[in-house]
Amino acid sequence: MTFTPPADPRAIAPSEPMVDSLDIAANPPRRALRLHRELDDVWRDEPGWKGFFTSVNHGTIGLRFMVTAFVFFAIGGVLAMLIRAQLATRQGAFLDLDLYNQIFTMHGTIMMFLFAIPMLEGLALWLLPKILGARDMAFPRLSALGYWCYFFGGSVIVLSLVFGVAPDDGWFMYTPLSDRTHSPGVNADVWLLGVTFVEISAMAAAVEITVTILRCRAGGMPLTKMPLMGWYLLGTAVMMLVGFPPLILGSILLEVQRAFDWPFFEVARGGDPLLWAHLFWLFGHPEVYIIFLPAAGALSTIIPILSRTTILGYGAIVAAVAGLVFLSFGLWVHHMFTVGIPHMALAFFSAASALVAVPTAIQIFAWIGTMWMGQVQFRLPMLYIMGFFATFVMGGLTGVMLAMVPFNWQAHDTHFVVAHLHYVLIGGFVFPMLAAVSYWMPLICGRWRVRGLGEAAFWLILIGFHGTFFLMHLTGLLGMPRRIAVYPDNPEWEWLNLISSIFGMITAAGFALFAFDVAMQWLFGRRSWRNPWRAPTLDWAMPLPAPSYNFASLPGPRHGDANALLPLARGEGLLPGAPRGWRETLVVEPGSGRPDHVAVLAHSTSLPLLTSAAIGSFFAAMLSGFYWLAPVGILLTIWAAWKWGDIMGTDRDHPPARVAPDLDLPLHFQRRNTLARTGTLALLLADGTLYASLMFGVGFLTVVAPNWPAPVSGIATLQNVIAALVALAAMALGLVASFRAETARTTPIGGTWALVGLGSGGLALAALAVLAYGLDDPTRHARDALRGVVLGFAVFHGVVASLLALRSLADHRQGRVSATRVGASPIWQLFQMFWLGTSAVSLVLIVAQEVLS
Amino acid sequence: MSWLWRALVGPVLWGVLFSVVYGLHGAGCNLGWTRVPVLFTDWHHMAMWLAWGVGLALHVVVLRVVPRGIPPGRSRWLIVAGAWIGLVSSLFTLFPVIATSTCL
Repeated sequence: MTFTPPADPRAIAPSEPMVDSLDIAANPPRRALRLHRELDDVWRDEPGWKGFFTSVNHGTIGLRFMVTAFVFFAIGGVLAMLIRAQLATRQGAFLDLDLYNQIFTMHGTIMMFLFAIPMLEGLALWLLPKILGARDMAFPRLSALGYWCYFFGGSVIVLSLVFGVAPDDGWFMYTPLSDRTHSPGVNADVWLLGVTFVEISAMAAAVEITVTILRCRAGGMPLTKMPLMGWYLLGTAVMMLVGFPPLILGSILLEVQRAFDWPFFEVARGGDPLLWAHLFWLFGHPEVYIIFLPAAGALSTIIPILSRTTILGYGAIVAAVAGLVFLSFGLWVHHMFTVGIPHMALAFFSAASALVAVPTAIQIFAWIGTMWMGQVQFRLPMLYIMGFFATFVMGGLTGVMLAMVPFNWQAHDTHFVVAHLHYVLIGGFVFPMLAAVSYWMPLICGRWRVRGLGEAAFWLILIGFHGTFFLMHLTGLLGMPRRIAVYPDNPEWEWLNLISSIFGMITAAGFALFAFDVAMQWLFGRRSWRNPWRAPTLDWAMPLPAPSYNFASLPGPRHGDANALLPLARGEGLLPGAPRGWRETLVVEPGSGRPDHVAVLAHSTSLPLLTSAAIGSFFAAMLSGFYWLAPVGILLTIWAAWKWGDIMGTDRDHPPARVAPDLDLPLHFQRRNTLARTGTLALLLADGTLYASLMFGVGFLTVVAPNWPAPVSGIATLQNVIAALVALAAMALGLVASFRAETARTTPIGGTWALVGLGSGGLALAALAVLAYGLDDPTRHARDALRGVVLGFAVFHGVVASLLALRSLADHRQGRVSATRVGASPIWQLFQMFWLGTSAVSLVLIVAQEVLS
Repeated sequence: MSWLWRALVGPVLWGVLFSVVYGLHGAGCNLGWTRVPVLFTDWHHMAMWLAWGVGLALHVVVLRVVPRGIPPGRSRWLIVAGAWIGLVSSLFTLFPVIATSTCL
């Protein structure tokens, strides 16, 4: 490979090329304008309002996520100001207690679920294809579906405040406060259903980000050389896949308890409120790192560029990210140190909480070392990075203090914790995000900012933030609890609170000025020149603002950094133009980055919007208490899912695509290991975590909850035993059929096997229905309720596997399989295996419960 | 993908070991293992020590075996780093099984 130094002497040369040397020739140069027109015709959104509802392009969807997240951030910020106004004096009468409860609950909920997570999703969706050298995310329709679920779910949650029925039990929704007895209105339902609806977008984004990073990088870019942002977002996405399912499970269980009286969290009937706390914090603590890692990715990208050098310790940072990803799942109990946990368990989690500071510190030192090595330019993004250092390090240190059990017992549930979490979250996420927005705005809008406004906003935010929250450490150490509206007997807290409130208003003014600055830049900024930061990364190897297709030809071995801007625009990279009139991007092998095939991506479609509306109709029926209508929502969702698969695949073999003069690759229709298969594996990782969380719940209640053992069960009947065995046998037959349907796809027998798979799926579901009929009353005891959930889990996966069998059958009937085209069978096999495996484990568990009792 | 698995096997082993020891801790308290004497200690401590010891031995095996066949460079460095992360994490976070009381 020829690695040419940057043409611009002020540009930063990468310490080593980001792509490996592969023997792939460059395409001949073409007219850049003609290429642009050809690609833009294919990739741009449809015009007008139709385009708004049908866009699936990562650039549009990513930006839309970020803008919507900032709107919710503003709403959450206004709520914060209301809280500060109430607490400014000890007998504040600004808000009544009911409204105060709603406002602090909504503040936390909005900031965590409607701002932080969607903001990082938006940044990832918008940035990843650009910085990795792709044209779009792996699943563009999934991007759009995620956005609409987020938009609808978030809107419902926020509108509940307008109608006075907003959640009011704290952002962590602790039981028993949130059960039907103590929270009889729909407030808690809004949280449980709204947040779960929004989390669909998080799961969609997690799958997409994982697959995009593993499979949609520039040709020849191995994992070990990809930009650090890729590593950070890969870590984030995997954490989301593993971290969100416990909360989704907890939300489902609590909503089922509220709706149908199944007692998962009710002590008198074998449940335990601590199960909710465990499930919530199994999500909640990794969530902190889910939020921090993308921000750290932005820091690792921006710091070396604004220090005019390369990052120090790439390998150490990657190792630190891996360490953080894993260790963060061993910390959740430090949020529960005061609930009454044995010493040894406290010690495990205290040790893990202290240890996690090590990989965090490695990153901090790598960033400081990078700045020490280079020549720091105090441009606006760097100012926010300085704000990050000043804030996050303090939050990290108070975090280590709180990781020590004796101190935790003293400070628990006080404003010290409020100060700590704001130092961590605003320091570790908001400051880096403001740096990221300042840094990438020229790429977003093609304009340079208006001088002066941004700096003023920064100082207002920095001074306002520390004035607000530094004093809150003292307020907390003086004993002021969280979530109180008045403190008439504690005049010693008043001056601290008053100062916090004043500085809170200054912070708000700073954020308003930041928003104004961004608007001014977008509307009135002067045109920015290309690659204004002289960065080496691929996100700057494109015109400004970024075109809808990112790269006229894709980066590869000969064009692996921002220096290749012009050759890529002239089509000298891989897969130039859109010769078939399709949206195409390169798919690579996960580890080496060697080009594997060409994926044809979805065009603009309203299907994501319709699908989210179908899912939303289910949530709306549940929220309004019309449970009998909920199945309609499920049927609509199944219909939408079927339509989703209907436009995939093809009924003829296509010739290979010319990627480079000496490189022709097949289209994805003719490959087995497609993006969809990798995505299914990622989805099943999340699914497996949900199942493991359910098993954790069973184990936890069995060994920890009072009021066990459960009453004598009546499920050990011959009818149930036969039904269970028939179900398992039918699932196993379905698994065989799923493989035979693929191997015999070129003969009529293949279709017959798909039919056998469909029939066996139906038989297994019928057997599960018999089991459901034979269950003990699930409202009697938590054990019986959990068995109902385990059965429901099997039924849900049975429906999915049967739909995939039906899809495979349709593939055979409609000629969508051939010697080179496998259709839906590989996906069906994965789901069928998962269904059989989890059902077998469930059966063993229930048999063990019966035998041991 | 094989490179990624090699790099992550150490931390994954930590995750498994942490879950096993934490699970043994909960199960042992529920099943009254602290009341079953074994040698100079009780069955609860013994079970967790055994799990921890076997886990640490596996970590050492991972450290020695997994990097084999990978040429020196960043790829190998990351695999070795992953193995060390797992070993140190298991050693440090499960260290309390040595002496701390169990079910109080």
